[in-house]
Amino acid sequence: MAENQDFDFNVPPQFEKISKNIRSIVIGLIVLLFGFSTFFTVDPEEVGIVVRLGKYVETVEPGLNYKIPLIDQVEKVPVERQLKQEFGYRTVDSGVQSQYQKAGYEDESLMLTGDLNLADVEWVVQYRINDPYSYLFKVRNAESTLSDISEAAMRQIVGNRTVNEVLTVGRADVAIRGQELIQGLVTEYEMGITIEQVVLQDINPPNPVKPSFNAVNEAQQQRETLINQAKADYNRVIPRARGEAEETIQRAEGYASQRINNAEGEVSRFNDLYAEYIKAPQVTKQRIFLETMEEVIPKMGKKIITDESGNNVLPLLQMQLDGVQNSTSNQNNNGGN
Amino acid sequence: MNQSKGIIAAVVGVVIFLTAIDGFYIVHETEQVIITQFGDPVGEAVVDPGLKFKIPFMQKANFFEKRYLEWDGDRNQIPTKDKKFIFVDSYARWQITDPLQFYQRLGTERGAQSRLDDILDGETRNAIASHDLLEIVRTSNREPDTTGALMLEVVEDSLEDINTGREEIQEEIQRLANDRASDLGIAILDFRIKRVNYVEDVRRTVYDRMISERNRIADEFRSEGQGEASRINGEKERDLARIQSEAFRQAEIIRGEADAGAAAIYNSAYNRNNQSRELYSFVRSMDAYSKTMDKETNIILSTDSDFFRYLNSID
Repeated sequence: MAENQDFDFNVPPQFEKISKNIRSIVIGLIVLLFGFSTFFTVDPEEVGIVVRLGKYVETVEPGLNYKIPLIDQVEKVPVERQLKQEFGYRTVDSGVQSQYQKAGYEDESLMLTGDLNLADVEWVVQYRINDPYSYLFKVRNAESTLSDISEAAMRQIVGNRTVNEVLTVGRADVAIRGQELIQGLVTEYEMGITIEQVVLQDINPPNPVKPSFNAVNEAQQQRETLINQAKADYNRVIPRARGEAEETIQRAEGYASQRINNAEGEVSRFNDLYAEYIKAPQVTKQRIFLETMEEVIPKMGKKIITDESGNNVLPLLQMQLDGVQNSTSNQNNNGGN
Repeated sequence: MNQSKGIIAAVVGVVIFLTAIDGFYIVHETEQVIITQFGDPVGEAVVDPGLKFKIPFMQKANFFEKRYLEWDGDRNQIPTKDKKFIFVDSYARWQITDPLQFYQRLGTERGAQSRLDDILDGETRNAIASHDLLEIVRTSNREPDTTGALMLEVVEDSLEDINTGREEIQEEIQRLANDRASDLGIAILDFRIKRVNYVEDVRRTVYDRMISERNRIADEFRSEGQGEASRINGEKERDLARIQSEAFRQAEIIRGEADAGAAAIYNSAYNRNNQSRELYSFVRSMDAYSKTMDKETNIILSTDSDFFRYLNSID
């Protein structure tokens, strides 16, 4: 008793007040706790699963809800949210420029193709919880189950295709079949999940093989280049040759018309002459001969006229010619010797 | 006296309360319960969720999972029938279907996992060892899709035919494992091969093969390009020769015809009779003289010639 009094004496006045009201404070706290464990809010993208003494009783919609304290338990499941699982990489920091981590996930992405080659396949499974009851109560660890299913399904699909298909034309098909297969297994396991989409990200040949895959692309380009160059060469030469051929033919045609015209002209002239000639052949001939000589002889160089008796003309001629040659040009002389 | 009575009452009250509490148990949606009395199972399994009763202290509630449970196989290195060394990583889903049997045979989930390891790893090993790698990787026979792939002009893409596929192998393993687990109170709902991959050494040789295959394709592309270029080049030479020779032929024909035509025209005039022939040769000679004589030409003319006929005498 004395101790108690001592104690009372030491308590400051504020605490004295509290200790007097301790009953109402405790009651207040209990009421508050009771309130907190009675009412709960469910976010817009969630539903609440109410379990009473271990047994499922109801699914409550978003908003303010109440339950029996201590007896009811609530699990909130985000049914409206799109969830995703990544394979072969992880998004480290998502944003405008998302950061991806690829190292360390090769085992996840490396898979055997149907022609026993290897391909690096990265994909995302987008899903939604559509049956929260099954999601919570039918399968333990639904997330890791889904990841197992995805890996098995994707490898099954890729394993039935050639590496070329997987890397090029078969991409869309792999995604579609993958989604079908994963959905089928998810339904079989009653996981309460729907697969919204399977998106294939990068599909690559394994790193050590990549350069040779690039070399194939390069070779493909080289092939195109070689063909294009040859075609360009063809196009440079052939049209020009066609033009030149046309020119040759036109020239020949020009020659032809010239030849015919000349012939016709000459013949016409001859015919006219002949018409006159036939009337007086001797005179006409004589006239033409003299006219020609008149024209020809003045144009000539040395003219030596000899008589029938002048047989010694040749030495003289020789002398004359030598003189001419000496005086005219050295060139001629050199040529003569 | 009063005080000790109160204490006794309090103790009795606590004992009654604890007894009553121990008489209740809660079965969750995900659980099923086997009641045991001094270790012996009593009655059927309790599978309905909710608040349940049992005899306090004498009976004990043993909780087991009702959900599908996971089993994840170890990464096993196994040679296939065709002697390829591969890693096989598998998973299974299983469920406690008979909790009583499960309780008696396996006791705990940990015990179950280790039995599943034995059974499934064993069956996987057997199945892998008795199938070719191709049968483990592939599922069914199909023709590869080659539409619109530029590269496939060169690569002949084909899938070898298989007699059995991954799905059959998985089902076989599942069936055999279920046979062996039939008295354990569990059922394997699904067994799947998750990852199959070459062991490191083999992987390197596979990479080498892939590289050499790509190199072959690259070479084929290059040689195809060269071949095609040569073909076009040959076409060019052929067309060039054809065009030029055709032009030459045509030109010669035209010239020849013109020459012939001209000759015919000349002949029709010059070759009419003796007189025309004489006139032609005369006129043509005259023409030729005037063309061939120039100042370099020296001429010795005899007074006998027609031209100088009158130089000697007028007669």
